[in-house]
Amino acid sequence: MSGKQYLKNKIPVIFVNLMGMLALALFLFANGNQLQTVLFIFIVWMIILIAYLSTAYNMRKRYLNKLLDMTKQLEERYLIPEIMTIPDKADDQVFYQIMKMAEKSMLEKIGDIQNERKEYKEYIEQWIHEVKTPITAMKLLCENNHSTFTRDILAELENINQYTEQALYYARSEHTEKDYSVREINLCDIVHSAIADNKYLLRQSNMTITIDNIENIVYTDDKWVRFILNQIIRNAVKYCTEKPVLHFFVIKRNDSIILSVSDNGIGISKSDLPRIFEKGFTGQNGRTRKNATGIGLYLCKRLCDKLGIGLAAYSENKGTTIALSFQINDFVMGVQG
Amino acid sequence: MKKKILIVEDDLTIQTQLKTLLTGNGYEVFTVTNFSQIMEQIQEFAPHLVLLDIKLPENNGFEICAQIRTFSDMPIVFVTSSNTDMDELNSIMLGGDAFITKPYNIAILLAKISALLKRTYFSSQTEIFTWNGAVLHLESSMIEYNGQKAELTKNELKILYYLFKNAGKICSRNDIVDFLWDNQLYVDDNALSVNITRIRDKLAAIGLIDFIKTKHRQGYIL
Repeated sequence: MSGKQYLKNKIPVIFVNLMGMLALALFLFANGNQLQTVLFIFIVWMIILIAYLSTAYNMRKRYLNKLLDMTKQLEERYLIPEIMTIPDKADDQVFYQIMKMAEKSMLEKIGDIQNERKEYKEYIEQWIHEVKTPITAMKLLCENNHSTFTRDILAELENINQYTEQALYYARSEHTEKDYSVREINLCDIVHSAIADNKYLLRQSNMTITIDNIENIVYTDDKWVRFILNQIIRNAVKYCTEKPVLHFFVIKRNDSIILSVSDNGIGISKSDLPRIFEKGFTGQNGRTRKNATGIGLYLCKRLCDKLGIGLAAYSENKGTTIALSFQINDFVMGVQG
Repeated sequence: MKKKILIVEDDLTIQTQLKTLLTGNGYEVFTVTNFSQIMEQIQEFAPHLVLLDIKLPENNGFEICAQIRTFSDMPIVFVTSSNTDMDELNSIMLGGDAFITKPYNIAILLAKISALLKRTYFSSQTEIFTWNGAVLHLESSMIEYNGQKAELTKNELKILYYLFKNAGKICSRNDIVDFLWDNQLYVDDNALSVNITRIRDKLAAIGLIDFIKTKHRQGYIL
């Protein structure tokens, strides 16, 4: 609140006072008072008026600043009517009432949207569970009737399955509540099951897979990590070159275990590398090869952040290495003995 | 004796295909058709293992699991499309032995079933494979013929295991590679040729010549 603006708003008050002074002056002169007396009365009047205006301004300013600070400190600012004291000025009370009404309708709207989102998430989860039934049926049909034809269908089914998983994990990552459970997992098991999930795709692309000794215990959610590995493996298949190779290995640090997945594919250009985990970023590779949505790695990053896993990508012209680093804290060390 | 497996699954295609798959793998399979009388059917069939879906028309899989546990300790494998932690926890709490999510990996499903059956019914008899006088020893990873033995590597053993298991039938190269991948041996087509050549050399050394025959454009046959 600026003083100038305040003064402007008080023009009627000042005007009324001036009119009062003028009327009094005329009255006093008519009664034969001297100019000195009139001037004295005027000065006293002016002093009182200025004192009133400045005190009122300061009080008002202090009150409003306090309110402003309170609002600024609040995380959900629309909740300010809940913590402010009910004002005693008549017009302030009207504004307070308006704020209260605005807050209520805001809260209702937020509640509705939250409910809608929750229902939508539940619907997505339910839909995914439903679509898994026909996927399973098709998979069994193909496995029971092996041929080159069903082999291709099985590879496509792996695609469909991962796309549905992507929708599921997207819905889960959007949600703030904890949707994972951490337990003792052997990295070896997750890697083998992720490879099994993509068996036909990998076979189709003639991928050579090499796995170093990766028998390491980590503490994490196996389903989430398996989804992340699936995504990495599929990227390796998508951006592979001739004679593709996929190499899994582990580097142990004092405080972490790093699982790396290294391919000899087309790699990622230096300018694209820092942005590959951004949502919707497809980069040069994505533009030249279709089917890039910019969701896969973004989702991996989100899930890793939630699980506390470090995710990094390295690429030198050719080939890409994605590294997942699992923290080992003191507690875990103690358990491992 | 064939082990008996009961399938409790409401999707008809999955039901029949699962039956085909398990029957093909040497199990006697019974499927529940009337979901209002599951308990009666279970007691009548007296299976060695139950494959149980969670979402079912009448009552859910958890209830059925709890009911089975009142009279039997038979292994119960939950097979479901729901992969929430809550369901997994529930299945363990109610006495389920395994929790497999759809779409399941067929190799893993079969491995789980066979492991559970072995553990529960102590069928410790090791499979011995013989064909035309050659004996495959799985535990010691050897092949024996006329008293002569040859040691096999992991890959070679698995390849021979598959050929022995399907002895007399043509095994396509793709099927052999698939089988190896299911056993976490990621061998490609070239490596398979190399392995077959090595196996043939080893077999020749113990007097088995032309044991593995090549069927042009089809695969191998014992």
